[in-house]
Amino acid sequence: MRHQPFVADGPEVVLEADYVVVGTGAGGASAAVTLARGGARVLLVEAGPWRDPDDYAHSTYGTLRDMMDDWGATIAVGDALWPVVQARLVGGTTVINSAICVRTPGDVFAEWQRDHGVGPELADRMWRYQDQIETELCVEETAPPSLGRSNELALAGDRAGAFGGHVINRYAKGCLGSGQCLQGCRSLRKQSMNLNYIPEVVEKGGTVLSCAPAEKLLFEGRRAVGVTGHFVHPQSRKRGASFRARGRRGVILAASAVHTPLVLLRSGIRGPAVGAGFRSHPGTGVFGVYDEPVDMNRGVTQGWASTKYRSTPGFKMETLAIPMEMAISRLAGGGATLMERIAEFRHLAMWVHALRARSVGRVSRGLGGRPFIRYGLDARDMAAFRQGMYHVAQVHVAAGAKAVLPGVHGLPYKLLPDQIGLIADGPEDPRCYVAILSHLFGGATMGADPRRAVCDTRGRVYGHERLYVADASMFPDNIGVNPQHSIMSLAMCVAEDALGES
Amino acid sequence: MCDLMPPSSTLPGLADTGIDTFLVRLQRETSGPTWLGLVLGAILYAVTPVATVGWPIPSFWLPASARALHAERAMSTRFYLLRQSLFLLKMYACMCWGQDTRVRQLLNVAPYPEDPGSFRQGVEQ
Repeated sequence: MRHQPFVADGPEVVLEADYVVVGTGAGGASAAVTLARGGARVLLVEAGPWRDPDDYAHSTYGTLRDMMDDWGATIAVGDALWPVVQARLVGGTTVINSAICVRTPGDVFAEWQRDHGVGPELADRMWRYQDQIETELCVEETAPPSLGRSNELALAGDRAGAFGGHVINRYAKGCLGSGQCLQGCRSLRKQSMNLNYIPEVVEKGGTVLSCAPAEKLLFEGRRAVGVTGHFVHPQSRKRGASFRARGRRGVILAASAVHTPLVLLRSGIRGPAVGAGFRSHPGTGVFGVYDEPVDMNRGVTQGWASTKYRSTPGFKMETLAIPMEMAISRLAGGGATLMERIAEFRHLAMWVHALRARSVGRVSRGLGGRPFIRYGLDARDMAAFRQGMYHVAQVHVAAGAKAVLPGVHGLPYKLLPDQIGLIADGPEDPRCYVAILSHLFGGATMGADPRRAVCDTRGRVYGHERLYVADASMFPDNIGVNPQHSIMSLAMCVAEDALGES
Repeated sequence: MCDLMPPSSTLPGLADTGIDTFLVRLQRETSGPTWLGLVLGAILYAVTPVATVGWPIPSFWLPASARALHAERAMSTRFYLLRQSLFLLKMYACMCWGQDTRVRQLLNVAPYPEDPGSFRQGVEQ
């Protein structure tokens, strides 16, 4: 069988393969294709439905409904309430991200080695896989005609102010600049996992079980032999028949930094490290107001980035053209004032920063089995957060913006170029900022010490046999760059090692 | 919700963009917590004019000038949970308003075709 979708009722659906891989995003798909290339039969278990590009939503409403985990309503609770961004469909978040490809920086491996006992050989192994992925997924810079005015302005500001930026490398072949990355690329240019590695797994004899959120692991003694759960209809959210996915040679969890720890917790694996070590890249947008129309939704969604400040103070800057209806909801105020501000939309460019936050949180089971994420930023991170926003504002000013809109409660709506220093000295209270958490890490971290880690550096869960983790939940620290490349290559290493063990 | 996005000289208001149909569909399709959050936001918006404009009556009984002032002040309240609840309300208001074809044309954004809402349903052998 190639695909088993939702089953409403009837007897339990039982499928068996060599390996069960839970999750079909960057980690799950990469692990699965490595196993399949090694000759193993793989059963991919995905919580969401399988949507082909013709099924992708166009609107933001449709994207939230059809592609996001719980309508994008998963919230991290700290001093402030900040939403967590991740998808729930075959291909995972790779379907709705901007396909940004960044090689794992060398200092990340040095930290992992120093603080978590990760062996020095991992860097070379991951980088070799990253070479391979770059070829297979056609990584390239977006060509100038597809950049759009917002990205062109960022590049101009970068040149003028020496912010160390560049055109982003992306998993996209001949990007057309349609500005639809976040709704899924209907023009088949973005190389999301549902277009390449997952079909390859199926071609090699694998099966995709969709609409099937894994609830619990199955064990025989200490050995993991599968997962079980109930189908959930993607539209009605009604619970369907039960399923049982059995893996003769092992089970690999790659359900994300939020859901992998939850599967472990629901399965009775409750060590102090399970769910701990949750980290992220909190970020927010700063609008520039330009004399000329920018029309930021024309051109590639994210085309420019700078990692100059990744180490100190610890943030990355990027362009990000979110859909118009989301962008205008970020404009402060209501009523006639809001409508006046929206009238300026064509002249706005939104650029963002993503903070390499040091703060650590925890994922646990909340009401109704939903994830409960406890996470907030400490004072040091908040200082870096403000610095990040200030630097984004500086790029806008260098690009010729006549004003910037910081979107910070307690600051003026619009700041003139000589006023942007107010952002750096802005409120310390995170509740004054509208931010999101993208790029989630931890919750099932790897490390050499079983008291502090859930799995070893080969992804093997301590205390159990043939149970592996292969996604961003393994990351014991915040890497400070877009993580898809790191997730994929680490998952390939885990899968290669798993094959070698059996 | 319509108070948050009234018509202006250049742009239609939320009431002109099918908000009633949008809300019926949203209630049918969205998750319980999201709908609950929206209802809570709407209630809070309705009962807070006393704090924003000093009128001890619900927002829908306010005269036009006070309603406009309430819409502006409520969105920038210093009470965080209230501000977040109203932000959710505003986000969905913007979502409805921003998918309107006329609005998108006025803001030079490509129109949205109908969302297919489809997915692979058949067993593939």
